[in-house]
Amino acid sequence: MSSGENVLSPEYKKALENLLFQLADDDFLISFRGSEWLGLAPHIEEDVASSSISQDTMGHAAMFYTLLEDLGAGKADDLAHLREAQDRRNSVLAERVNGEGYYMETPKYDWAYAVVRNFFYTQAKKVKMDSLRQSNYKPLAETAVKVNMELYYHLLHWKTWFIQLLNSTDEAKRRMNEAIELVMKDFGDVFSYGDEKTAIEQSGLIAGEDQLKEGWKSNMALPFECVAMKVPDIPEASAKNGRNGDHTEELASALTTLSEVYRLDPAAAW
Amino acid sequence: MAEKTFYREFEVFSKRTPSSAFQHQFSLLAPNKDMAFIMAQENFMRREPVADIWIIDREHIRSMNADEKLTLGRLDNKQYRTTKGYGYLKKKWRHYEQQMLDEKEILSWGGNSK
Amino acid sequence: MSNLAMKSEEEMLEQFIERIEAGDKIEADDWMPEEYRIALIKLISMHGISEIMGALPEKEWVPKAPTLHRKLAIMAKVQDEMGHGQLLLRVAEDLLKPYGKTRSDIMQDLFNGDLKFHNVFHMDTKSWGDAGLIGWLVDGAAIITQTNMLGSSYGPYARALQRICAEEVFHAQHGEAIIMALAEGTEEQRTMVQEAINHWWESLLMFFGPASKETTGSSKQDITIKYKIRKKTNEQLRQDFFTKYIPRILSLGLKLPDPTMHYDEEKQMWIYQQPDWSEFKKIIKNQGPRSQARLNLRRTSYENNAWVRDALAATTN
Ligand SMILES: [Fe+2]
Ligand SMILES: [Fe+2]
Repeated sequence: MSSGENVLSPEYKKALENLLFQLADDDFLISFRGSEWLGLAPHIEEDVASSSISQDTMGHAAMFYTLLEDLGAGKADDLAHLREAQDRRNSVLAERVNGEGYYMETPKYDWAYAVVRNFFYTQAKKVKMDSLRQSNYKPLAETAVKVNMELYYHLLHWKTWFIQLLNSTDEAKRRMNEAIELVMKDFGDVFSYGDEKTAIEQSGLIAGEDQLKEGWKSNMALPFECVAMKVPDIPEASAKNGRNGDHTEELASALTTLSEVYRLDPAAAW
Repeated sequence: MAEKTFYREFEVFSKRTPSSAFQHQFSLLAPNKDMAFIMAQENFMRREPVADIWIIDREHIRSMNADEKLTLGRLDNKQYRTTKGYGYLKKKWRHYEQQMLDEKEILSWGGNSK
Repeated sequence: MSNLAMKSEEEMLEQFIERIEAGDKIEADDWMPEEYRIALIKLISMHGISEIMGALPEKEWVPKAPTLHRKLAIMAKVQDEMGHGQLLLRVAEDLLKPYGKTRSDIMQDLFNGDLKFHNVFHMDTKSWGDAGLIGWLVDGAAIITQTNMLGSSYGPYARALQRICAEEVFHAQHGEAIIMALAEGTEEQRTMVQEAINHWWESLLMFFGPASKETTGSSKQDITIKYKIRKKTNEQLRQDFFTKYIPRILSLGLKLPDPTMHYDEEKQMWIYQQPDWSEFKKIIKNQGPRSQARLNLRRTSYENNAWVRDALAATTN
């Protein structure tokens, strides 16, 4: 570690930890949702391809949790599995279910929603990583460079699906448009830093909310042009802001599932 | 255009390094080549380095049937076009106290690539 | 017409057998006897669809895997199984070409019960111990049968198996790692493994199939051996499995669910209690405890996503 813990001011460290929890929880939850899809994608070859993206993304979450562990926030596995819903800092978008039904039963997941959510999310993540490469917290900047490397593929993958489905049948267009509406409803907190906005924006860790939003919109211009649509407006962060620990029931049930085994005995070696 | 189907066959080729030759990997089903392209690497090269990928619609491959494979037969009497037919030079050159320029020698002239 | 067509069926068959005997590999476009093609289609489409179906019980533990590392590893493992399905179905699909059948026909055959999968593994999974045991012993058993066909006379199958077996090495170690951690862990964790072994034991025995067709009335093993698609018999494979895994199970302090099990030095074989083969007959007709539920899940997800395939079938590029 290049920046020793002792040189970080308490305010800076707080902002840093908060930001890291946002990044880690985002990737962890969305990759958890991706892992529920495993075996159920519309096409076998696609199942294999998109599982790699879920794995990469969970790998990124693990890297962010490890940065927190290095800061003394606790063991990465404890941070990922044991924190309650109100302590989670992920965007509501990342926690949403994949569609109808529980994965242990006979779910009817929505591929249009998967494509739109993952594409919009990945583009947002890309904008953040591009900014984080200049972060004044060295370990985070280094992590962002690594994460960024795998985002080229993730973006290409989801963008291809997005454009192709929106340029196909009427039914696909209808489903995709419904998915866009659903995703945008939850998009308000994706670029929000929540109550930590001022602290994070003044920390020099990452660009401000507005700048990131602009980056996302300009990157989205081309793909939307390919499908003859307008880039949707990013809503203001609503009252339910995941960055402040406000979450849906969907997060609570996700946490129950993903920590079921670990919670049997967090002290045991698994 | 062939009939419209989601299940078109594509052959996947890849290179391990920028300087290596393309190698056939396997085939996959996809509705079009862009889709085939975004699925290729993760289906067949999850654990190995990849420097480049080719996707080829199987319909564009001119392959051979059993009859045509008969055209591949060839007698083993063409030493004149291989170094095998010139092995006797080694002895000859020895007579002139020179070494034969064999494959190993000639290919080493390209420089220090070992 | 080609001069090949002028050869009699008998001559072709003779040549074909000669090729196989000489260790030649048969390729998708080569002439092959109908019996061979049908045996391959049955074997490989069942193998492929079993991978796809087998991903379902295992995936139940993917989101629940205890740690970040285990979550990643089991995701990669189940992804591989889907990938095995992909490789094998591609091989089967090429064999099905003369019948004008495609992957959607394979899926329909699965749904209407014409295409069977390895039902013996379709039980409920009760704990993380089951996830570990699947990786360790179920994959272990599958490795035994798959390596047995690496030298298959059908080239495309042999090449797919080459890829698959290379990945199975990771699966075996992934399973061992989970089991080892549990076996060296708390009382509760050790119980998990023991219960998993007890739970899966009969299935593991059944997986290799009956020793002879007298047991169930039919067996594919004779024809696949005749055509050099596989080498060893069901019983030889089961014995190999015992030899590799029994000592390992015991070394971890775990108990065999079959107390009569022992190695007979004289006969040079493991003596064990036969599983209930009449139950087996029932199970292989898609009547495993969870067979119908998993089939239903596969069907639902396939139909639920049909709009995606319809949408992109219309695209051109
Ligand atoms: Fe497999
Ligand atoms: Fe496996």
